[in-house]
Amino acid sequence: MLRYIARRLLLLIPVILGVTLITFTMLYFTPGDPARLTLGEQAGAEQLEQFREIHGLNDGYVVRFVNYIKNAVFHQDLGLSYRNRQPVFAEVASRFPTTLKLAGLGVLVAISIGIPVGIISATKQYSLFDSVSMIFALIGVSMPNFWQGMLMILFFSVYLKWLPSSGFNTFQQMILPALTIGTSTAAVITRMTRSSMLEVIRQDYIRTARAKGQKESKIITRHALGNAMIPIVTVIGLQFGYLLGGAVLTESIFGIPGVGRLMVDAIKQKDYPVVQGGVLFIAVTFSVVNLFIDILYAYLDPRIRSQYK
Amino acid sequence: MKRSWQILALLMVLLLVVTSCSPAPTGDDPAPADPAETEDPADEEEPEEPAEPADEEEELIIAQGADAVSLDPHGQNDQSSSRVRVQMFDTLLMQDKNMEFQPLLATSWEQIDDLTVEFKLREGVKFHNGEDFGAKDVIYSIQRAIASPQAGHIVDMIDGDKLEEVDNLTVRVVTKEPFGPLLAHLSHPAAAITNEKAVTDAGDDIDITPVGTGPYKLKEWARGDYIILERNDDYWGEPAKTKTIRFRAVSENANRTIELETGGVHIAYDILPNDISKVEDNSDLQLFRDKNFSTTYVGFNAQKEPFDNKLVRQAINHAVNMDEIVEAVYYGTGNKASGPLGANVTFANTELEPYEYNPELAKEMLAEAGAEDISLVIWTNDNKIRMDIAEIMQNQLQAVGINATSEVVEWGAYLSQTAAGEHDMFILGWTTVTGDADYGLYALFHSSQFGDAGNRTFYKNERVDELLEIGRTATSVEDREAAYKEAQEIIREDAPWIFTWNGEDLTGASNRVSGFELHPAGHYRLHNVSLGN
Repeated sequence: MLRYIARRLLLLIPVILGVTLITFTMLYFTPGDPARLTLGEQAGAEQLEQFREIHGLNDGYVVRFVNYIKNAVFHQDLGLSYRNRQPVFAEVASRFPTTLKLAGLGVLVAISIGIPVGIISATKQYSLFDSVSMIFALIGVSMPNFWQGMLMILFFSVYLKWLPSSGFNTFQQMILPALTIGTSTAAVITRMTRSSMLEVIRQDYIRTARAKGQKESKIITRHALGNAMIPIVTVIGLQFGYLLGGAVLTESIFGIPGVGRLMVDAIKQKDYPVVQGGVLFIAVTFSVVNLFIDILYAYLDPRIRSQYK
Repeated sequence: MKRSWQILALLMVLLLVVTSCSPAPTGDDPAPADPAETEDPADEEEPEEPAEPADEEEELIIAQGADAVSLDPHGQNDQSSSRVRVQMFDTLLMQDKNMEFQPLLATSWEQIDDLTVEFKLREGVKFHNGEDFGAKDVIYSIQRAIASPQAGHIVDMIDGDKLEEVDNLTVRVVTKEPFGPLLAHLSHPAAAITNEKAVTDAGDDIDITPVGTGPYKLKEWARGDYIILERNDDYWGEPAKTKTIRFRAVSENANRTIELETGGVHIAYDILPNDISKVEDNSDLQLFRDKNFSTTYVGFNAQKEPFDNKLVRQAINHAVNMDEIVEAVYYGTGNKASGPLGANVTFANTELEPYEYNPELAKEMLAEAGAEDISLVIWTNDNKIRMDIAEIMQNQLQAVGINATSEVVEWGAYLSQTAAGEHDMFILGWTTVTGDADYGLYALFHSSQFGDAGNRTFYKNERVDELLEIGRTATSVEDREAAYKEAQEIIREDAPWIFTWNGEDLTGASNRVSGFELHPAGHYRLHNVSLGN
């Protein structure tokens, strides 16, 4: 198992290198002079030259790429933001806790809604509950987050005046964004739980369990859910990893200073080092979350575990 | 199969832990954080409910579109940063609402010769770090500003080596060439005065460690989220009326109005034009609006056929119905431009008339110029307002027989291609940040400023060059005024632009706010603002 984890961690290196190379190249060939873009159309020639000097923009493509890698590897330095001269790494890292909090709360909401609803829908297939929850799940999957967020702001903040419409410091401020993310993620989890459960429920060993007189609730929770868990965990993991990259729309709507908004702002302002660092960061978190999920499989399923022995 | 439950429980607990123990948003601001200020959720809620009378003095909450980028007085010069910085830093002098100079750190000033102005400095002023203010700080700050890539263009006409400390409270500022608008430049926030020891102490943290002499000082900055300022009790002037100010970054434009309506903030900057009625019709809110220094223009390429012909440029000015554009694109805010400068800029020629909308006359003039069948492309960058302008203009120009199209060009490419003169027509804005005609005319219309420096129309008129030089180098107000008035007349007549629009600042506030005043430069000093009940 350890060897497996080590191998997976080593595989991260080419992934990171590849992501870096691709984003670096794309940003390098993006038209426009970063000095001019950052300092604005009113800045003078001397200031522009000074800016290029500070950020090493006068070097060629290869030199800059090699320098970037060198600094990243040996000094853990991802460069300075063009816009506010802060180290990119610190910039991204300072936003991460907020994003982690938002993603965590969102997934928490999603799991607590999605799994129970999915199980009930599967066991009572074609019942009224099933139809209603599947319609809601369809709406949840189809409705864009930003729209749902705005509707919730209109209803809960403007109309009822119960909850604040932006910010992410107090508990009240976290409710709406967590619900926005949670409900749409819940929709995905519900659908996956339902279909995965339906598949398992029809298997022979479930019939065996019923035949031997096992209580129905035990059959569902122990025998069925256990085996249905793998695809569900996969979906939860993917959603969580995706949310850790910053729920861009939700963060923008609710004015949450997370990684997603940092990236969007950086892209708007052509702050390439931050874009580059942010993409790298997202790639790494996504890979790590995936690795974590893969290890969970092994824990969940003895068949998979035995392969790593 | 107990495992699945264990794992689920584990996951939930993990998420809970992650969620609850991730650090509070202290940002990356180690220095001024007050240990007594650690997170207490009960305290935190208070500002959210302004209806409730707080036992302590209530915090004034302001929403702006973006967080400050840097609080280094000579750092990034964007509006969001300036709006926070002006509360903490003083300049030598300032321009009031009516563009009259008022003393701040300098109590009086005198032009000694063409190159030199002598400033008498205020006595007994202290920096936020306890250091005394004196001539050495002025010299240090101006030299530092000159060397800064972001602030340099505001002060680099000053000869940094010739700044002279006459005595501790007298300083002489010497320019490289005679420079008429010097006082306006020294009033700009980029010429703020800081203290050498503070800068040295801050080291790499200079962007988050502002030390000035202003009525407020920094208390806490959670990057990307909010900035809290606290009253400077040692302020040399009248102390600020409100103890703490919180600047919140609320980037969704519509959300700022919502926060204002729901009482989440007391003042919201940059209200969307289509939200004006929401603020005006709400009896709990008030709207502040006034013209600012920004202008939007559509530039020609004055060296390219057929736009090298003055008649063609004038004809196109006549062919455009600017009232329609201001109404449709800007919802009637601001006003259509009559010349290159907005009316509130010092030495603006307010007697200029906007070009009359007259498609018939436009057709006649085009015929007279022998340019009946021109094709042209209006360039714009990816900016909703500019794209709308381009589209409307395109239709209006087609109505007089011009084959006009518009094209959206990526911002970086847009700037470099217009600087290289590859365009027919382009849409850009300019803000006369110093409020002085020199800043609004020299870079845009002097023939030495072709391309990147600002004159992207490649307009050249020797008389205008001469007048702009007089305006820049003369130190007498009368000479400058006469030169600029004439220059603006000629520029209007020569029409290197389609004169488009002068901007307006829109700020919404709760009725409880008093003492708030707009300023055409766009950053508002808040030390007189207080919250009533």
